[in-house]
Amino acid sequence: MHTSADFERRQRFERLVSAFHPALYRYAAWLSRDPGIAEVVVQESLLRAWRSLDALREDEAAKQWLLTIVRRENARYFERKNVNMVDIDNLSAAEAATIAETGEPDLDDVREAIYGLDIEYREPLVLQVLMGYSTSEIAELLGIRQGAVLTRLHRARLKLKDIISADGCRIALRDNR
Amino acid sequence: MNCAEYREAIAADPSESFDGGAAHAAGCEECRKYRQEMQALDEHIARALALEVPALRMPELPPIETGGVKRGGKRASSGFRVSRFATPPFWAGLAAAAVVAAVLVAGIPQQERSTDDLVGEILAHMDHEESSRQVTSVPVATRTLDRVVSPQVADMDQDIGLVTYAMSCVINGRTVPHLVIQGNKGPVTLILLPEETIDASVPLSGENVHGVLLPVGNGSIAVIGQREDQLDEIGDIGRKLAESVEWNI
Repeated sequence: MHTSADFERRQRFERLVSAFHPALYRYAAWLSRDPGIAEVVVQESLLRAWRSLDALREDEAAKQWLLTIVRRENARYFERKNVNMVDIDNLSAAEAATIAETGEPDLDDVREAIYGLDIEYREPLVLQVLMGYSTSEIAELLGIRQGAVLTRLHRARLKLKDIISADGCRIALRDNR
Repeated sequence: MNCAEYREAIAADPSESFDGGAAHAAGCEECRKYRQEMQALDEHIARALALEVPALRMPELPPIETGGVKRGGKRASSGFRVSRFATPPFWAGLAAAAVVAAVLVAGIPQQERSTDDLVGEILAHMDHEESSRQVTSVPVATRTLDRVVSPQVADMDQDIGLVTYAMSCVINGRTVPHLVIQGNKGPVTLILLPEETIDASVPLSGENVHGVLLPVGNGSIAVIGQREDQLDEIGDIGRKLAESVEWNI
């Protein structure tokens, strides 16, 4: 039988998880580059978050707290399973599905280019563009200096620009606006 | 800001929220075009990153015992400090270490509830990170160590020991450095807690956990071994850390 405190705890947890689940899944998916692993990582992260929920003092900090848990859980998953890094030239069916599901070839090209970025470039890009984090917030989450974040973001975009241009991507960057 | 600086900055932050960006772009048509290019690229990046999300599957949530942390079948609640102190060899080991001797001089401080919570979190974390405590001679990569420690620690004794594990971990809702060094009698865990202020040292004890939580400036450091016979060395490591660590935040 659940107590009132237990009920309130569950309500709080479910509210937070519902709000941030899309962000958690996408973060995990872009970290692992595998939707199956992302689902496992998110599930493990939710369990860990549930056990540690009382450590979260303010719900305003929930997003960063949960993302940090996902980040740790992803690292733990790869340590535990001794999973090899994904080879971009030999994609599995699931991985290929991840980067080619939009039905828009131009967008798939960009997705594939992001998919091929090293994690050190891909992760801050995801945090900035998808999560809306500032460079100082990214620095805090990744435990690196803000200058390093700026360098990685700058290089990430230049790499994407080069890849997309070299592949003859149909996206007309200059004509977009 | 010149054109090269502007382009580097706008590629890192196409929203142009950095100082001096708008002023430079206002007077440079080429840079305005470059900005437009980067912003267009970012729109595509944002769309590409927005993967389709599967339906939320809420895991089965186990019941939680509030007010304490389960360890080895025993409940570690606000009273577990008393039971830890009841183990004579633990006290004997602590007494040998200068830094921990301070605890004896001061007596058992009246711990705030928050300190008990912190101790519970640390002990629970030691369960999660059991695999980190390996006997090895392979040092952690300098880059990893710098990434984990440098943002929060301004200075630390580099001769503290061979660091074989470094990870940023969440304890008490804060991301903190978790290190493992190789001691003379086995791995020793260091958890640096720059924002956790405690009044006095608190012994840490549990299954394969023998150590101490030390006040260091406005923060604290947990120094933890796996066996009681490591306590002398833990005291020594704790003293060195307390003298050398300076917090950066």
